[in-house]
Amino acid sequence: MSRLGNNADWADDDEYDDPSALPATQITENKDGTKTVVSYRFNDENKKVKVTRRIKSTVVREHVNPQVAERRSWDKFGLEKGHAPGPSFDTTSVGENMIFRPSTNWKAQAAEAEKNPEQGSMKDQLKDKKVKCRICSGEHFTARCPFKDTMAPVEEATGAGDMGADEGAAGGLGAGSSSYVPPHLRGKAGGAAGEKMGGRFEKDDLATLRVTNVSELAEEQELRDLFERFGRVTRVFLARDRETQRAKGFAFISYADRGDAARACEKMDGFGYRHLILRVEFAKRST
Amino acid sequence: MRPILLSGHERSLTQIRFNKDGDLLFSTSKDKIVCAWWSANGERLGTYAGHQGAVWTVDVSPNTVLLATGSADNTVRLWNVKTGECVKTWDFPTAVKRVAFSPDGSKLLAVTEKRMGFLGTIAVFDITYGDGDLSNLNTQAEEPSLRITCTESKATVAGWSYLGRYIIAGHEDGSVSQYDPKSGDQLENVQAHEFDHQINDLQFSPDRTYFITASKDKSAKLIAASNLAILKTYVADTPLNSASITPKKDYVILGGGQAAMDVTTTSARQGKFEARFYHKVFEDEIGRVRGHFGPLNTIDVHPAGTAYASGGEDGYVRIHHFDKPYFDFMYEVEREQMRK
Repeated sequence: MSRLGNNADWADDDEYDDPSALPATQITENKDGTKTVVSYRFNDENKKVKVTRRIKSTVVREHVNPQVAERRSWDKFGLEKGHAPGPSFDTTSVGENMIFRPSTNWKAQAAEAEKNPEQGSMKDQLKDKKVKCRICSGEHFTARCPFKDTMAPVEEATGAGDMGADEGAAGGLGAGSSSYVPPHLRGKAGGAAGEKMGGRFEKDDLATLRVTNVSELAEEQELRDLFERFGRVTRVFLARDRETQRAKGFAFISYADRGDAARACEKMDGFGYRHLILRVEFAKRST
Repeated sequence: MRPILLSGHERSLTQIRFNKDGDLLFSTSKDKIVCAWWSANGERLGTYAGHQGAVWTVDVSPNTVLLATGSADNTVRLWNVKTGECVKTWDFPTAVKRVAFSPDGSKLLAVTEKRMGFLGTIAVFDITYGDGDLSNLNTQAEEPSLRITCTESKATVAGWSYLGRYIIAGHEDGSVSQYDPKSGDQLENVQAHEFDHQINDLQFSPDRTYFITASKDKSAKLIAASNLAILKTYVADTPLNSASITPKKDYVILGGGQAAMDVTTTSARQGKFEARFYHKVFEDEIGRVRGHFGPLNTIDVHPAGTAYASGGEDGYVRIHHFDKPYFDFMYEVEREQMRK
């Protein structure tokens, strides 16, 4: 009851008696041996700030001169008079970590360290980056693929195949089929219906051979001569390095007839050309 | 190595000194304040206020009881290190550029500027430490026991050699001279640095048998105290303001940079505001520590050789506690010697 008498209003908690008073510092011991210190202070704008610090204290024992130990207990004086122990934020700060490694050839190392950070990161970025063509999976950009006219990209190629399969159904007026058929394609004779723009070439890769282990010095004309013995060759592509113009080691040969291609594949596989043994196989659509 | 930055000064640093035990660091700057810091964590112990002008120099007695400072207000002041009180003031006709306690702490020398018709002098005072309990520190001699006048070229820096046997002074004309501290006679004078290139710093090895000088002529020299023989020369590419010998490892640390008046016209990179480490014996530069935004005015090494501090024209003191690679570094020949 006496307590009620002292405090006229329950809202007048003693904490709020003086607005400039700061709440007492709370120190809680944590289970892991650390301490949490919650203290309050006024910042530069005279606002009350709550500061929560988690402190882990480790005891470092050091043997020092008795004079040094005695000095440890000295009080602060001058501008620091009355300040709390410990470094003050406005006079003491910790700089950036720096590596100091004495060395006889430090000049060269310093110059290298200055250059390398940029280069290193760029290298890291491009380390496992490889240019891959979406059409033939070769090491070039899709836009530069020699087969961009003859081969469809991997995903589209399968789509086109589906189209071919149900072309019979699409041939009609669309009865029973949900797919819309544009007027100029309706009623057209068999194969043309539903055919894609590039569809004409789809069969081509069935007659395309992939030749690997080709010499660096190979020429497109020589390859054409070699492979023309088995039938009409519609296209020869020899992959070249863009800078050195040397062959990259693989080539594609397209035949007009698949039978010719099969024969060529059989005969030319293992053929010695410019000191290298050619490996010939049918080009796969997706590798 | 994480440097501790001390930003207690508002103007450029003039000198920093560790005490003999290395637990305290004293710094003076042109802003009239002298600061004392704990070297381990960079906490400021206190300040010594009273000077009316830029404070040029500081030294602490070997027992860390008295602190002496010399200032542009033409005074040398003696302070009680513990309390920050000024216990004695000596007036001079000109500014005081350097003070130094003798190795036993019984004497204090003060180097005064040549100005207004007064010649540069080196004044020596006898210092007493009061009663046994260090209570009467303010009973000090009024007059210097010795006054050396530098007639040829004014002294810029000075210090005491081993056992206080000689006073070694560096001069404005680049020469180094040796004086007898009893009679005040000049015993020897050697043109150690290029003529008319002022000697900016002179610091002794731990045993005070040799010392290092830093000069405006872009070099530092290691000189024997007994006969002023030049033992080693360390060549830098910038005027040097300070040089220090490291105990424990055989290095020297040089600090300098573009002259303060030219700083605004040079970039930080060109200014070469780095502490340079040279091998004391082989004279090779073995590394640099960057950090300051202005020339390094003063460098001091912890007496145990575990840290060094530098004060710059930028007003910062940086304390660097060395880490493992610093202590591990060895020349091949040194390693071989270790194995034997």
